[in-house]
Amino acid sequence: MVDNWGFIAVLTLVAFTVPLIGLALSWLLRPHRPGPIKQTTYECGLETIGDSWVQFKVQYYLYALIFVLFDVETVFLYPWAVAFLGLPLFALVEMVIFLGILAIGLIYAWRKGALEWV
Amino acid sequence: MPHIPSILTHFSPELILVVGMLLVLTYDLWVRGREGLQANLAIITTVLALVATLVLWVTMPGSHPVFEACGPGAKAGTCRPGAFISDDFTHFFRVLGLLGTLLVLISGQTYMRGRTAFKGEFYALVLSAVLAMNLMAGANDLIVIALAIEFLSITSYILTAFLRHDGLSIEGGLKYFLYGSITSAAMLFGMSYLLGIGGSTSVPALAAIARNPELAQVQGYANIMLPALALVLAGIAFKIALVPFHQWSPDAYQAAPTPVTAFLSVGPKAAGFAVLIRLFVGSFSSLSASWLGTMGLLCLLSMVVGNVAALTQGNVKRMMAYSSIAQAGYMLLGVVSLGGKTLMGLDSVGAVLFFILTYVFTNLGAFAVIIAVEQATGSAELGAYRGLMRRSPLLAVSLVVFFLSLVGVPPLAGFVAKFAVFGAAVTGGQVPLAVVGVLTGVVSVVYYFGVVREMFFGASEEGQPGPIRVGMGTTFVVLVALLMTLVVGLWPEPFITLANNVAHSIAPALQAAGGH
Amino acid sequence: MSVPPGHFMALSAILFSIGVLGVLLRRNVIIVLMSVELMLNAVNLTWIAAGRALGDIDSHIFVFFSLTVAAAEVAVGLALVVAIYRSLGRTDVDDISMLNG
Repeated sequence: MVDNWGFIAVLTLVAFTVPLIGLALSWLLRPHRPGPIKQTTYECGLETIGDSWVQFKVQYYLYALIFVLFDVETVFLYPWAVAFLGLPLFALVEMVIFLGILAIGLIYAWRKGALEWV
Repeated sequence: MPHIPSILTHFSPELILVVGMLLVLTYDLWVRGREGLQANLAIITTVLALVATLVLWVTMPGSHPVFEACGPGAKAGTCRPGAFISDDFTHFFRVLGLLGTLLVLISGQTYMRGRTAFKGEFYALVLSAVLAMNLMAGANDLIVIALAIEFLSITSYILTAFLRHDGLSIEGGLKYFLYGSITSAAMLFGMSYLLGIGGSTSVPALAAIARNPELAQVQGYANIMLPALALVLAGIAFKIALVPFHQWSPDAYQAAPTPVTAFLSVGPKAAGFAVLIRLFVGSFSSLSASWLGTMGLLCLLSMVVGNVAALTQGNVKRMMAYSSIAQAGYMLLGVVSLGGKTLMGLDSVGAVLFFILTYVFTNLGAFAVIIAVEQATGSAELGAYRGLMRRSPLLAVSLVVFFLSLVGVPPLAGFVAKFAVFGAAVTGGQVPLAVVGVLTGVVSVVYYFGVVREMFFGASEEGQPGPIRVGMGTTFVVLVALLMTLVVGLWPEPFITLANNVAHSIAPALQAAGGH
Repeated sequence: MSVPPGHFMALSAILFSIGVLGVLLRRNVIIVLMSVELMLNAVNLTWIAAGRALGDIDSHIFVFFSLTVAAAEVAVGLALVVAIYRSLGRTDVDDISMLNG
């Protein structure tokens, strides 16, 4: 039986070795021909022009916000579901109310057009 | 497990607010945000919740726990006391919060009409904020306290930044948000240490542990307890806007839509004091040696900084922010005067409650005038008040009365309130603070008089602006506030009895612990 | 041998302090927000550690609530940041200074 410290040691080891393996492998396998352009910081696609803020579409942002909120709400469903058989009827009613309020939130977002991709 | 009837009865004002809030929101969706009954729905909801509270208060006195828990969550076989408690103290703050909101809704209705397209959201948020205040008033568990404070904070941030095309409003909201999120994180951190010491999140359980004399013997206990209490105090002090946790308040007050400013100046302060009194005076009075000093310092700083900084303000909303910081300092003076006795047997907690009662009406009356002036002139700068006496004698004269009451001039309500608090301070061993309070009170005359001078003696350069038409709502609120300011000032006995009864329900041990 | 609760407390105190430093030293509102999140997560760690040491379930429930509150807070915070970016074009705390006095 590995004790808690053992877990931490394993985690630390894995956390450090995985990226090291990746870096080491690419260092071993890649051809080594440096050039001035290659020395620049690697970024996906073209170099950004101006402020990268303007690239964001508000829709991304609304989606992300709504996702985060509903995602977090599901946290409350797990303990409820696990203990469901031992709970009285009232817990079911309470959860129905909770989900009902969430549903109103969803309808709200929908009616306000937050779910439409323009 | 929660007891269904107790939720449906003793939690009914809150349930009414939840249902009303959802109704306002769905109604707004249904009419697609057009002008409609949103404000009226919010007002009806508030009135219903108020009626429910009054019925509860009259028909079922005493203390009623809600959300009791017996089972795997509680310690070996014992039941955990309710996470929310509905007693006289809760009722008192429920009534104040709901009445205050009602006055804000009535006086601010026309102000909001032209300024935002999001009526449903605005009124739903105001109802959420009242709900959060009610929860704070009755919170009896660290979890509920933390959640209620966060709930109130988040709704307040949105309300402050509500005029989203107004850069100023957003900026005020953002500053409020930044200060608020930091202090609330600190408060949660402090609470986690309280849990670590007490082994429970329930306030009565923590209080029982705090009263245990063996606790002081535990090694390193003070090193954890004091910072924990200090951090929790910081979180509450932020909501009340006590110096040095006040930096957000002038900005938020100036930037917010004026009805929201009125709400912020009253609601969160009253609710914050509810938590402060229940937690520190009601539960941790045995540890008063460890928090009295810190709180006394907050009180001193609030009275001095609030009154002095208000002197140089050219914006009346900003001036009122500092003035309300100073008023919060006076309220805190009553809290730190543990065991003090004052007129007609009013004890120190009773004096605070009485002070809050008068403050709610006086301040909301003043803000009703400020809202009306801003609607007529489009500004809350000092210059907007020039010649107000000629343009609207009702507004000008009532504003003078409210200011006089805030200064504490007899025979107005503010005088009795200040007399009570200073009396408690003198008998409760806080004489230096009482002296500072009286002196800074004299200073406050100067900045209030600045506005009065503009109203009565300010000569207008740009001709003679016509008289201001005062709406029905504003007139009603101003008259109610005037009436309360005069009645409480001239005939304070019933209100003193009320405050004393409420105070005894929260801190019965206070009389025994007198003389701290 | 298991990790003593004190170690968790120390770790969370360190994380909390890093968050506080971030709030105090960084000027970009987004990074300030991230620092606040770090503070909140440090608090969650304390709650869980204290709850585990005491065998108390309530504190674990608290963490659920705390996570939700943090999500709501960040949603509001980011909305405010976007709004201020639209009106100012920048997100530096030092630039947000229309209100003064």
